[in-house]
Amino acid sequence: MNSRRHLGLVAGAATVLASAPISDIFAGWSWLFEGGLMVAMVTGAALGARSLRGRLWAQLLAMLAALLIGLTWLFGEDTAILGLIPTPDTFAQFGKLFALAGEEVQKSYVPVPDLDGLLFVSALGMGSVAILVDLCAVGLRRPALAGLPMLAIYSVPVAVYVDSLSPIPFVVGSIGFLWLLVSDNVDRVRRFGRRFTGEGRGVDVWEPSPLASAGRRLAVIGVLVAVALPLAVPAMSAGFLGEFGSGDGLGQAGKGPRGNGRVDLFAELSGRLKQAGVQDMVKVTTNDPDPFYMRFGVADQISGGGFASHQPTGQPVSDDLPDPAGLDLSAVRSQAATARVEITENFAMPLLPVYSAPTSIRGLDAAWSYDPGLQIVYSQRANSAGHSYEFDYVRAEFTPDQLRTAPTMAASDANQRQYSNVPGVPQVRTLVDKLIEGKANNYDRVRALYDHFSAKNGFKYDVAAPAGTSGAAIVDFLNNKRGFCEQYAAALAWMVRTAGIPARVAFGFTLGGAPDNGVRTLTNRNLHAWTEVYFSGYGWVPFDATPSTYVVGSAPTAWAPDVDAPDQTPDGVRPSLSPGTSGGPDGPGGPTRDPIDPEGGLIGPIVVDDELPTWVWVATGGGLLLFALLITPALRRTMLRRRRGVRAAVAASGSFTEVGISAADLTMTVVGDVDTARRQAHAAWDELIDTMIDHRLVVDPAETPRATVERLISTALPASVAVEQARLLGMAEERARYAPVPLSAERLTPAVRAVRRAIAGEADRGVRLAALLMPPSVLLRWRNAAYSGFTTLSVRMSRVSDFGKRVLRPLRPGRLMR
Amino acid sequence: MTTQRSGGELTDPMTVDEFRATTNAIVANIEQVIEGKTATVRLALAVLLAEGHLLIEDVPGVGKTKLAKALARSIDCSVRRIQFTPDLLPSDVTGVSVYNQETRDFEFKPGAVFANLVVGDEINRASPKTQSALLECMEEHQVTVDGVTYAMEIPFMVVATQNPIEMEGTYPLPEAQRDRFTARIAMGYPDAAAEYAMLDGYHSHDPLEDLTSVVDGGTVRRLIATVRSVHVAEAVKRYAVELVTATREAPELRLGASPRSTLQLLRTAKAVAALDGRDYVVPDDLQTLAVPVLAHRVIPTADAQLARRTTDAILSELVHRLPVPHDRGRSPYDTRPATPPNSFYDRRG
Repeated sequence: MNSRRHLGLVAGAATVLASAPISDIFAGWSWLFEGGLMVAMVTGAALGARSLRGRLWAQLLAMLAALLIGLTWLFGEDTAILGLIPTPDTFAQFGKLFALAGEEVQKSYVPVPDLDGLLFVSALGMGSVAILVDLCAVGLRRPALAGLPMLAIYSVPVAVYVDSLSPIPFVVGSIGFLWLLVSDNVDRVRRFGRRFTGEGRGVDVWEPSPLASAGRRLAVIGVLVAVALPLAVPAMSAGFLGEFGSGDGLGQAGKGPRGNGRVDLFAELSGRLKQAGVQDMVKVTTNDPDPFYMRFGVADQISGGGFASHQPTGQPVSDDLPDPAGLDLSAVRSQAATARVEITENFAMPLLPVYSAPTSIRGLDAAWSYDPGLQIVYSQRANSAGHSYEFDYVRAEFTPDQLRTAPTMAASDANQRQYSNVPGVPQVRTLVDKLIEGKANNYDRVRALYDHFSAKNGFKYDVAAPAGTSGAAIVDFLNNKRGFCEQYAAALAWMVRTAGIPARVAFGFTLGGAPDNGVRTLTNRNLHAWTEVYFSGYGWVPFDATPSTYVVGSAPTAWAPDVDAPDQTPDGVRPSLSPGTSGGPDGPGGPTRDPIDPEGGLIGPIVVDDELPTWVWVATGGGLLLFALLITPALRRTMLRRRRGVRAAVAASGSFTEVGISAADLTMTVVGDVDTARRQAHAAWDELIDTMIDHRLVVDPAETPRATVERLISTALPASVAVEQARLLGMAEERARYAPVPLSAERLTPAVRAVRRAIAGEADRGVRLAALLMPPSVLLRWRNAAYSGFTTLSVRMSRVSDFGKRVLRPLRPGRLMR
Repeated sequence: MTTQRSGGELTDPMTVDEFRATTNAIVANIEQVIEGKTATVRLALAVLLAEGHLLIEDVPGVGKTKLAKALARSIDCSVRRIQFTPDLLPSDVTGVSVYNQETRDFEFKPGAVFANLVVGDEINRASPKTQSALLECMEEHQVTVDGVTYAMEIPFMVVATQNPIEMEGTYPLPEAQRDRFTARIAMGYPDAAAEYAMLDGYHSHDPLEDLTSVVDGGTVRRLIATVRSVHVAEAVKRYAVELVTATREAPELRLGASPRSTLQLLRTAKAVAALDGRDYVVPDDLQTLAVPVLAHRVIPTADAQLARRTTDAILSELVHRLPVPHDRGRSPYDTRPATPPNSFYDRRG
């Protein structure tokens, strides 16, 4: 009992250690207090149940009850009797907390503050893991299994942080796991009795075994390798894991301070778009008859994880805002207008949506600032929820002809430098070069890239597409042609940058539904992202590459018309990116096919996608190889059996002499060809022995055929019809080995079959299956072959080293000097 | 030196069935007297047919002498019984030359050993000098007295009994003499049923008195000839050698079995095989014989003695370790290292 108590405490402590990765999620440490309390209560309940000699189910019930009481105590909020005993209201409260946690997950960015919902979930999770760990380690005495729930904790920050994670929580967690393993094994060894060292000195109860140093070294090496190996693989953090993220494509997560003015816009966007239900976010009234989208954020930096925003800088908002960067208002037609915005509680961001480009804002306090470069209104501390404000703005209207005149900027230009750098992705580069080939000016180049995202080329809108804007994600999107505004905007920006033209991703709202009495109500479904391209003299010009059919309230412009409009004949649209990259109309996303334009995919060139991703080949090849490896022993066994069967069947021809074997009470014939009969008897016997090995029956090389058969009959064939056949096989082998005249083999094959059937009939299913799939006889033979090969090698090596010692040592200079 | 040969030649072996019938008759005859000891009786018969000598060693009163006498009575041939005592002289065993007044010559008076079956009771009570008088005749089937060698008849078998308990005033058999006995068997106590049956059988008179012979000396010679013709495969010969070699290499044995024991082991195995109705020897025969034929010849080390390990236990363990022979060389299931043990494994220590 004492040892189990110790192990239970270790299990609890190991759970707390394994929870270390949660520290990456939370900014504070309340989770540790609450989660640790849960673990302590669960562990205490388990100890109590065990000290009362409760069975495993009783221990489980006690732990569950302790977890429930603990959660009620911490999160019950007056719904419980005496604050501890849960009532139906308590469960309703828990349900609310769950829902709250769901919302908080969508709204928050790591590291999160101490939010009730998330704290509740983390306390529940730690408590549950504590229960599982206790069950595995103490109840079932399988501490290795306890690693799985511990690993589940670690997978939480792994899923949240796409890029990289500090190895320290992992090391802490693995120390907890190793501690658990060590405690269990020490206890196991202890149960053998007193321990001694090689010199006969007694070892104290909890003193580590002298043999344990090898295990310790192995453990340390294992942890080191687990930490160091991923660091040595450069691609692990960049593309591959990014595919699994849930729309949190920010690269700098977890690195450096996170100001409030800087949020993960992509995560916000995809989270809100996928959110069930429609929430009103912004109500806007404007006197502009033809407004464009409202913006509130910009992502203009590319890192390993894709587009990201940078820390905005600017002045506090005032009546007089600086002119929009790079826009020469005198050169374009512009429309001055005024807008009034009311933000609901549902839009809570450190950013405020405004039309481009605001000239003055009223109704905001000094907490809000304006970044003229990004043209966004932001705050370091305030939240947009509930704000209402008014602003004047100037909407510029560009024409394609004007934009064509925009000169290519010098490489030294700040905008050019800052906004056109992009990691080189060969596939994107190839595609871009192909698309902009022969285009004379920047506008035509951008249009060529913009027009590429057409239904004709197979592009579809799919909000369920994998999120992410990293290079790999862009390539995937360009190949799969399925995505939502985030991918369209990022991909176009990426391609425009690849073409050497400054571009960025803007976030905001579309125009929304039709205005109701002049008021446009913008919901979470109207959240949108698009591309902005910088033209010298015209500033940032918006291009919305997302198929307009799917964007409620989209606003095609003269310079960026709807590429899917029927009368549109976009120039520069190439039939396909490159051979084999078409998603194909029969792609897997069938149900999401455009209901309005069902032929959309068919218009594009139908190129059968025969270029599967490499991993498919690798996985298929690996699977086949594994399958081949797995099936080899079974095949070998079948071949052996067939060969022996054939050999035994040849017996039919030949001259026979009748001889009575009274000892066996079996009338036998003796083949004229003695050697053949011997071989056949041996084949049948080998088959019998292999069958016995396959069915886990002991085969003793020190046992004669006669004794082997008698043991087989007494242990594996009780009252079986195959007893006579088994004796016949034993007799045949005995005579083949030792008698001057062997028995005939003609009845051996059916006898082998009958005995085999009988043995298999007596064996249980697992053994039968193993005999079929992984015949131990074949494995044993291979192992023996490997072993004897190794022994031979060792002997040869030792001979060589002997030779070296005998012949070479006397020649060593040190010896000669002596 | 003259040699006098007596007894018949070993000719005319029997068929398997005839052999079985004859030997079964002998065994059944003996079992009228010795209840429930079939294996022991058959082993005794096997030793006779293997032209060997039998040492029966057990506590008093379990039927040692009875077995010897029953075996002797079942065969219609000359039987002599010697009760060994400390004052028994060698000449009492072998015989003595007496001066004959009438012929004016020394005349050889054959001793007790001149019989087909010699029952030596309590052999360890005699002095070593007398015991060693048996040596020559047992191994060489001849007696030399005063430069004249007298051959023994065939069959010739010495059945000696000895009591392992009361060792006071005894002369334990010297190693050389023990080695001359083909097999040593222990009678063991009968089981309850056999003992109960014995009470009935011995109620009024000794059934040994009623025992009549079932075979004569000639038949026994034919039986022996049959045993000699039993086939021994090369693999089995190899196994016999391996088995005896293993006793010499066993770390628990100070003295292993002699080459003579190999010969006698195989000979007895042939007899056992024939008794079993086979015309070939199987390793099973050697395995069953390993303890009776080899155990009394080996000497355990002091360590093994201290650990109360009997030679019987050591030998049966040895048998269970040694892989059986295979006419295809090494058994595919033999997991022992293929290399000779003196190359690699010796160096590890």
